Amino acid sequence: MYRRFAISCFVALLTLPTAARTRPHYGGTLRVEIEGDPWQPPNGIARRLVFDGLTTLDTTGAVQSALASGWESDNANHRWQFRLRPGVYFHDGSPLTSTAVVQSLNLDCPANCPWATVHAVGSTVVFTGDSPMPNLPALLAGDEFLIALTATADGKTPSGNIGTGPFQVTSFNNGLLALGANETCWQGRPLADAIEIRVHPAVHDQWLDLSVGRADVVEVPVEMVRQAQQQRLTVLVSQPAFLLALEVTDSGALVNPMLRAAIAASIDRSALANVIFQKQGEATASLLPRSLTGFAFLFPVDRDLNKAHELRGGLNAPTLTLSVDGDGALRLAAQRIALNLKEAGFNAQEVDAGGAQRADLMLRTIPLEGGEAAAVLESVSRSVGAPAIPPDSSPTSLYRAERDFLDRHTLIPLVDLPRAYASGARVRDLALDAHGLPDLASASLEDAP
Amino acid sequence: MSLRQRLLLLFSLTVAAAVAAVAWTVLVRIRHVFEQRDQEETALFVSQFQREFQHRSAEVAAAVDHLAVSERARGMAFEIVQSGDASPYLTEAQTMAQDAQLDFLEIVGADGDVVSSAQWPARFGYPELAVTGAGEAAFLKREELPDGNSALGLFAVRPIGGAELALHLVGGKRLDQSFLADLPGAPGMQVGLYNERESSTDSRTGSGAAPSATFDPKQLVGTNGDVPSADRYQALIESALKTGQQVTGIVYLTARREDSVSATAIPLKNVTGRVLAVLIVALSREGMVEAQQHIRTIAYGVASGGILLTIACSLWIAARVSRPIEQLAHAAEEVASGNWDVRVPERGHDEVSVLARSFNHMTEQLANQREQLVQSERVAAWRELARRLAHELKNPLFPLQLTVENLVRARALSVEEFDEVFRESTATLGMEIANLKAIIGRFSDFSKMPKPELERIDAKDVVERVRSLYEGAANREAKIEFATEIAGEPMAMMVDPELLHRALSNLVLNAMDAMPNGGKLTISARPRGANIEIKVADMGEGLTQEECERLFTPYYTTKLHGTGLGLAIVQSVVADHGGTIAVESREGGGATFIITLPRITA
Repeated sequence: MYRRFAISCFVALLTLPTAARTRPHYGGTLRVEIEGDPWQPPNGIARRLVFDGLTTLDTTGAVQSALASGWESDNANHRWQFRLRPGVYFHDGSPLTSTAVVQSLNLDCPANCPWATVHAVGSTVVFTGDSPMPNLPALLAGDEFLIALTATADGKTPSGNIGTGPFQVTSFNNGLLALGANETCWQGRPLADAIEIRVHPAVHDQWLDLSVGRADVVEVPVEMVRQAQQQRLTVLVSQPAFLLALEVTDSGALVNPMLRAAIAASIDRSALANVIFQKQGEATASLLPRSLTGFAFLFPVDRDLNKAHELRGGLNAPTLTLSVDGDGALRLAAQRIALNLKEAGFNAQEVDAGGAQRADLMLRTIPLEGGEAAAVLESVSRSVGAPAIPPDSSPTSLYRAERDFLDRHTLIPLVDLPRAYASGARVRDLALDAHGLPDLASASLEDAP
Repeated sequence: MSLRQRLLLLFSLTVAAAVAAVAWTVLVRIRHVFEQRDQEETALFVSQFQREFQHRSAEVAAAVDHLAVSERARGMAFEIVQSGDASPYLTEAQTMAQDAQLDFLEIVGADGDVVSSAQWPARFGYPELAVTGAGEAAFLKREELPDGNSALGLFAVRPIGGAELALHLVGGKRLDQSFLADLPGAPGMQVGLYNERESSTDSRTGSGAAPSATFDPKQLVGTNGDVPSADRYQALIESALKTGQQVTGIVYLTARREDSVSATAIPLKNVTGRVLAVLIVALSREGMVEAQQHIRTIAYGVASGGILLTIACSLWIAARVSRPIEQLAHAAEEVASGNWDVRVPERGHDEVSVLARSFNHMTEQLANQREQLVQSERVAAWRELARRLAHELKNPLFPLQLTVENLVRARALSVEEFDEVFRESTATLGMEIANLKAIIGRFSDFSKMPKPELERIDAKDVVERVRSLYEGAANREAKIEFATEIAGEPMAMMVDPELLHRALSNLVLNAMDAMPNGGKLTISARPRGANIEIKVADMGEGLTQEECERLFTPYYTTKLHGTGLGLAIVQSVVADHGGTIAVESREGGGATFIITLPRITA
């Protein structure tokens, strides 16, 4: 008996270090390398580390409370009241108030907001709208509505980015953004002591740094996921996080909807998804990803060049301008679209996206924000200035709202694309959140003290 | 034009024509030689250029060949064939092209569709027709680019890792400014590439484009970008495009001949023989033209100097040849004017000197004969004078002799009868002596003709004065009708009125003498050109031809008691006034004396 107990104790002692190794450790510095601006929505990796929203989405896309501890709607979703979580402080020590939230939201969304007015009432923030806002809690979880401190206690504009998130800005020098752990974070202290975000190195340099241990988390462009996997990097790929779509102007030469429909029919989505994005994306002709609705098949993705010619009806459109909001694969996709359009009888010329004149065609990526189908539909459609809000969340209403929107042919969905990141060997428990971004606050380091 | 001038002109023209012909021949020959040399030089450069072009073609073929047999390409082809998925190699062509330093590279699948394209990555899945029918050698091809433009390139097609994998590489190098700059050049040589514009293009096949009908100078690029005066090459390029043959010609870039090039347009064709571009190899002719101009300047200088020298020599020769003839002509003119003492120099033994000697001999003979004639005439004149004097003096002497003899015989008569005879005899003697004095006075007057004192008078006044003087007597004594015909316009002349009056009076008296039985005497005056013509016409017996010829000879007369000096005096007066006198007559038709005197118009 004793002998058996002794053996059991011995085995238990032997397993202790193993258990210790699997338990997350506090401390250490996570080194992240990215190509773009860390503050730029929707890919700004630093935004969600420094700022919080009133709501957030869990990994399944369900709306969860964040800075708002609760909310309720009145008047058939025309009025929403969000109660602020008590005991939340900004990084400079000032308390989170409803006034600060209203100021931040007004700054984030000066126009085309989901709501008509927002104002502070005690510790609550009240939104009112001219039309029902059934998806407001989900929309507030979006990247564009994160809460930042816009004025200090003495009324001055803060010198840096100050939020309530798990990390706070400590410095930004020579392209290196240093974030420190927010010890008083309302969500609890993050595991890592600090995060260093190195800005603008090229992707292959990022991978090289990851390989030699100079970086812990790096970006992986969608079209290079397979290449990263071939190089045996640990790649995390999200669910569809944004939609590659062609925004078509409904004025000028393309005021005729038949021409816009011809453009939609002439694009080879499969080539974009399978070749340019190396099968990491999913060709789509619908705004909502297949995983959210189940009726995406009702929007055929196949190219129909004959139909495109038929729709064009022999009309000779003048040379169309095509801009692309990005480079790399996006620019290649734009060239491919121009090539497809040429076959259909359109002549598209690529122009600078920053030009003074709006291009006839704009290839852009739209974040699939909102978690729930109706919210995603509203978010996506709102991004092109024409929100499609289904009266309820039933599939029929969703389909009808999406069909009505797409029949205008002002936004042509092309490919649903994920986000992807690669992590190093010393990173533990790194996962991607509902927005496709790495949840660095929950990640820890293997060699942390 | 004088003989000397004619000779000078003839010599000068002959020599100038000869010099010009020689200069022209020399210049044409030099130009021909220069151009031949220029063409040979251009042909040499073009040949060298074509060899270099072929060398570059071989380089492209070798580069693509090298890629096609590489392990990387073989591995890729194997995986594509095995997996059937070519999408992982979307950017492979860009990497391979960069490694092989190719401007164009496409990986073409077994189905003929592009798997990966370095120059147009988005073109995957579209067919590449260059694979079919391509041989081992490099070829020209126009490649479309994403920006809507197209580029010309030297391409080669190679299967990857042998035919079993059925993948191909289509690689090439761009024919552009940098390609031209890498080609070997020479000082003064310019290389340009004219890209034939295409009006439309089928993006799926990359063919079917029709060449543009119009020449666009902007399509001609050189090693430094735009080719200056590109439009000047239009004819050459269009000819090469049209015929598909190499064309050589001279292109004048500006109005200056130095700014010209000897250009060769080499058509660059694709595998089907269509001209895709024209390569221009232009060699500056500046040095050659300058050399030609230098030679031409020298030739013109030498020719001008030669012509001037020739003119000078011609002057001397013409002078030498023409001087004796001119002297002869001058001497002849002198002789014609009465100077028979003139002589011409006699030099040498040529025809001209013979002529001069003959001329001198002739003038000497003439002078001698004239002297003899003058002496004869002088003797004859003296004889005539003596005869006249004898005749004139004999008539009064005979009565004088008879009177003196009567007077001698009268001494035997009574005093009364003697006194009567004496009075008659002394009267007769006095009368005859007066007659002798008159005869001697007329001879004296002829020898002492006064010098005219000119004054301005009208011919009408002269005629009227004569008429008023003689009309009455003529009518009264000889029953002669006196008529005058005077023009209405003024007839001013500078004459001595008294001398002219005396001359006209003489003619009028002669006319009256010619009509002893009466008749009509007409005096007329009228302008004739620059002269005034005064006529005195009678209706007498007229004159014979011989009388007319000798009428103005001194001491010649047709009258029984005339001295023959009247008309001689008239002629002398008329000659002293710069005029002439003539007579028109026929037997039985009267005679008309015509005096012509200069008229004063102002």
